[in-house]
Amino acid sequence: MTALRIDQVSRTFPARAGHAPTRALEPTTLDVGDNDFVTILGPSGCGKSTLLRIIAGLDRPTSGRVTLDGREVTGPGADRGMVFQSYTLFPWLTVRENIAFGLRERGVPQQGRHDIADAFIRRVGLSGFEHHWPKQLSGGMQQRTAIARALANDPKILLLDEPFGALDNQTRALMQEMLLGIWERDQKTVLFVTHDIEEAIFLGSRVIVMSARPGRVKAEIAVELPHPRSYKIKTTPEFVALKERLVEEIRTEALKVAEQA
Amino acid sequence: MRPLEPTTSKQRVVYGLAFFVLFVALWSWATFGGHVSKTFLANPLTMVQEGYELLAKQGFLFDIGMTIWRVIGGFALAAVIAVPIGVLMGAYKPVEAFLEPFVSFARYLPASAFIPLLILWAGIGELQKLLVIFIGAVFQIILMVAVTVGATRRDLVEAAYTLGAGDSGVIRRVLLPSAAPEIAEILRLVLGWAWTYVIVAELIGSSSGIGHMITDSQALLNTGQIIFGIIVIGLIGLISDFLFKAFNAWLFPWKLA
Repeated sequence: MTALRIDQVSRTFPARAGHAPTRALEPTTLDVGDNDFVTILGPSGCGKSTLLRIIAGLDRPTSGRVTLDGREVTGPGADRGMVFQSYTLFPWLTVRENIAFGLRERGVPQQGRHDIADAFIRRVGLSGFEHHWPKQLSGGMQQRTAIARALANDPKILLLDEPFGALDNQTRALMQEMLLGIWERDQKTVLFVTHDIEEAIFLGSRVIVMSARPGRVKAEIAVELPHPRSYKIKTTPEFVALKERLVEEIRTEALKVAEQA
Repeated sequence: MRPLEPTTSKQRVVYGLAFFVLFVALWSWATFGGHVSKTFLANPLTMVQEGYELLAKQGFLFDIGMTIWRVIGGFALAAVIAVPIGVLMGAYKPVEAFLEPFVSFARYLPASAFIPLLILWAGIGELQKLLVIFIGAVFQIILMVAVTVGATRRDLVEAAYTLGAGDSGVIRRVLLPSAAPEIAEILRLVLGWAWTYVIVAELIGSSSGIGHMITDSQALLNTGQIIFGIIVIGLIGLISDFLFKAFNAWLFPWKLA
């Protein structure tokens, strides 16, 4: 059974004074199955974030439609959890209250909210920080809280828009392992947007490569590396071969972007 | 001294007090030295004597109380009405389009120019004083609150929607808490302005209050009393500002963390 179906979805941003309309996304079709971990890889400005925002319901497609378990997406909802690249924790709520935000909106009583939130706090390794304000956390800790906040809602699909893009390399590697660990344990449908080739291979069961603007799916590459994966896999010949192939794909696209600019 | 170099808190206190000392010294030099006629400017000692006289024998505490009540009454009335309107304007663009042009126009109407009209409508009782402050404060608060709420971080709103929040959830649990510290700052600022409106309101057609005392003293050419009245206003303003600041810091610990 297909969980998420993206059917001929395109997006054109209307013309602004003196500029022609911008075609951000060519008609794109993509199916994401139950418990699949799909990474979308592309250079900046390839419309990959636009696609994710359309799936989240934060943007409307110009044509085509998105369905989740057969129901058309018409707006944002708790069945599609989202983690943004920017730090979007609510600064006036503590770590625990942030994680429990969605539960509260759904009317889960306080005790239940706390129990679920505390379980996720442990899962992302933030025990002892329940009562901290977001301002007091490092970038990595803020994103771990944001992932816990999205997961606490138990969404059908988790959408991640370059969530580790602003983190330093070491922190990013640790976050990748944490996310993969959660997915290997709990099984969740995940759509992960990134411009980092290694990240796309390490996390994904499939890598969707997108072309430069206007964005469209250029290639789809299965990653047949066994689970559970550890960071050591990044130096195996299979991993390196995949990486080489994707470097070539992305390089041609990046060159196109550079020429357009 | 170098640009933007911080000072220690001890230095700040010393420098801050130094200016007051310098100010009183200049004042003393001008008055005790006979450079300015007594008729126009009382010396600091006379001012203190007149102030004691006012407080001990002329019931000036009652005037101070009246003025404080008018400021707080008019200001609270304005805040209770203006904050919800401002929040609605900030949250809903059609409401903003409907009200913004009028409010922008109305906030330039000088509150003091309404005093003759308000006397005609409301007499010279307390209601008229409250209305002057209300008119002076309400449009300013509406506009500033609308701008603040409208400037709420979009990504926080989007995050709330993806977590299943509805429109009222977004307003109550994202827009409001996100704008609350700014709104409190706006209220602190406007409370300061309310102090100038109340004195003007009391200068005309009033039988109590600090402004009324100042008009009376002018008739008697008692500059000592006038200056004492002005200083009292400044002191109360300073204290209320300090209390407001402390209250805001207590209310929004996440801002300081």
